[in-house]
Amino acid sequence: MKRTLAIAALAGSLLAAPVFAKDPILIGVPVGLSGANSVVAPSVVQAAELAVDQINAKGGVLGRPLKLVVADDASGAVGAQKAFDSLVFQKNVNVLISMETSAARNAGLPIVAKGKIPYIYTSFYEGHACSPYLYVDAWVPEQQVPPVVDYLKDKGAKTYFLIGSDYAFGRGMLGFARKYIDKTGGKVVGEEYLPMDGTDWTPIISKLKASGADALITSTAGGAPNVTLTKQLRNSGVTIPYANLAVDEGTAKSMGKDAAGILISASYITGIDSKANKDFMAALKKKFGDKTRTPNDLSVPQYEGVYLYAKAVEKAGTTDTRPVLKALGEVSFTGPRGTISMNKQHHAPLTMYLGQVQDDGSVKVVKSFKNVDPGAQCPKL
Amino acid sequence: MMAPPHSKESRQMTLLLDIITTAAILFIIATGLLTIFGVLKIINFAHGAWLTVGAYCAVAVGDLGWNPWAALPVAFVTGAALGGLTERFIVRPLYARPLDAILATWGLGIIIGQLITLGFGRDVQFTKALLPGTADVFGTSYSVYRLFALAAAIAIGLGFSWLMEGTRLGLSARAVIMNEALARALGLDTRRIRWVTFMIGCGLAALAGTLLTPLTSVDPNMGVAWLVGSFMLVMVAGQSFAALALACLLLGGAQVIVSTYVSPILGGITVAVLAAVVLRISPKGFSRV
Repeated sequence: MKRTLAIAALAGSLLAAPVFAKDPILIGVPVGLSGANSVVAPSVVQAAELAVDQINAKGGVLGRPLKLVVADDASGAVGAQKAFDSLVFQKNVNVLISMETSAARNAGLPIVAKGKIPYIYTSFYEGHACSPYLYVDAWVPEQQVPPVVDYLKDKGAKTYFLIGSDYAFGRGMLGFARKYIDKTGGKVVGEEYLPMDGTDWTPIISKLKASGADALITSTAGGAPNVTLTKQLRNSGVTIPYANLAVDEGTAKSMGKDAAGILISASYITGIDSKANKDFMAALKKKFGDKTRTPNDLSVPQYEGVYLYAKAVEKAGTTDTRPVLKALGEVSFTGPRGTISMNKQHHAPLTMYLGQVQDDGSVKVVKSFKNVDPGAQCPKL
Repeated sequence: MMAPPHSKESRQMTLLLDIITTAAILFIIATGLLTIFGVLKIINFAHGAWLTVGAYCAVAVGDLGWNPWAALPVAFVTGAALGGLTERFIVRPLYARPLDAILATWGLGIIIGQLITLGFGRDVQFTKALLPGTADVFGTSYSVYRLFALAAAIAIGLGFSWLMEGTRLGLSARAVIMNEALARALGLDTRRIRWVTFMIGCGLAALAGTLLTPLTSVDPNMGVAWLVGSFMLVMVAGQSFAALALACLLLGGAQVIVSTYVSPILGGITVAVLAAVVLRISPKGFSRV
């Protein structure tokens, strides 16, 4: 599976590229082709392939073509160690650009530090991962949570109930939400977690109903727990405003009526009305046809990450780590999500979109928040 | 916005309903496993996979545009048919080697999971809600579907009692449970009884999978989360449906109470811990009930 995908990725980028005299610049993409991330990983690989194709079609970077080397990190720490090891020390890639779980990122970082190459992390996460080699072009809680809470507050919510899966991301997001709610004068009347493989949310839902909360904010693990919780909430007749910090547009769409009314907060929604986004969607469709995976808040940062790296190498005039790392904090790229620059302590200010799932499953942008600051993620960098 | 916090009576009513319906759902999930364990004395570790098969029957029925309720008979028949093949080709040679049977059925579960992944993809699937909304139970609004699950559990329990107590097959099955050698000596076709029992067990598991779809995500791994709980309950219950009902009520009830008053995270391990304690004190569990 992973080998064929890697070969397909390779073949794809080679076929489309013009003939280059010089060695390619190798981009390592460790990603969860198996395990929890396997649902989203194909869209991430497609986004990276598209960026590489487009850049190569325009002559590559410093006269050299870009080439992807995809490796499966199995969505976890053990797989990530193998994938990073092989990419950094055997394939000798010039950079790592990838969307991964926090466990995989944390396991890979020491290997990146040992190999001394840049690493662009393209997944939203719980924040505060700092390394001189690491840049992040996706959102952190400081960017995602405030739009949701501010909106609910405007709608009159004073008391909140928080429900999550018991893991770093779930607790990190809701921990931040609680702080932000307290700071803005709201009150959290309940905060409950279920283990990641938990299936029965009933007692928590009963507590939620008894609490009389004005609004509900959830942050479960993606996929199954999210769907299970939403179904059981709807079955129990919970109708208070419901913001879901962990649901992506695609899942919300396919949940159909159960998802109607859910508020989501993201830096990318397919409905963004800009030329860059429309061009991107058209190019994706042209390249992959009916195999196109719907672009999302994890795949688009991957696309932009490849471009940001290309810009940084061009600016530095070399692929050497030190100058590229410096340039990564200075360059910007205008992509589907707008103009992205990782200039805030290795993180990027982002325009955030608050969407609401409609009865027909589409996501309507209710409000957008321009250039939301990531806050002090890494004060020491 | 929601009504003011519920009254104390209403909270107690909700807790009571949570306990009863949780027990009902656990009962529905575990019956298929108990049927096979009770008569054949083997643990069918592919049970989680049969649950998943049943849930995907609901997906298929939805894709075909049929009435969502049609998924119930479709799942039972599909589960029973596949169970029949499994018994014939995989389980039958392993009756004398129960440990190997665990290994074989566990492996089979993995294979079924992978086949489902190949056929439907890894993504979460969606099915039509069977009974949406809430109903008023003595002044407490409660999920209609969970109330339906309670009715379904009672129907399955009664249906099975009738099958065991009121039919020829049940009589033969009970004879096999009590003394298989004697039953065979008396001319009962024990091989056929085993086969039919295994089919019914797998059919019930698939039926349970369909009944779960409105409550849970449908994905290739969904069955695994339910397998461990059912296994614990069946170990405590032994071979009796009444004991299973009691085990579901006590252990499921404890799970709800711990989740409500202590922590849902501890609630998640309540069934496993209590099952271990019960078996430590009374190695036969509740089977004498």
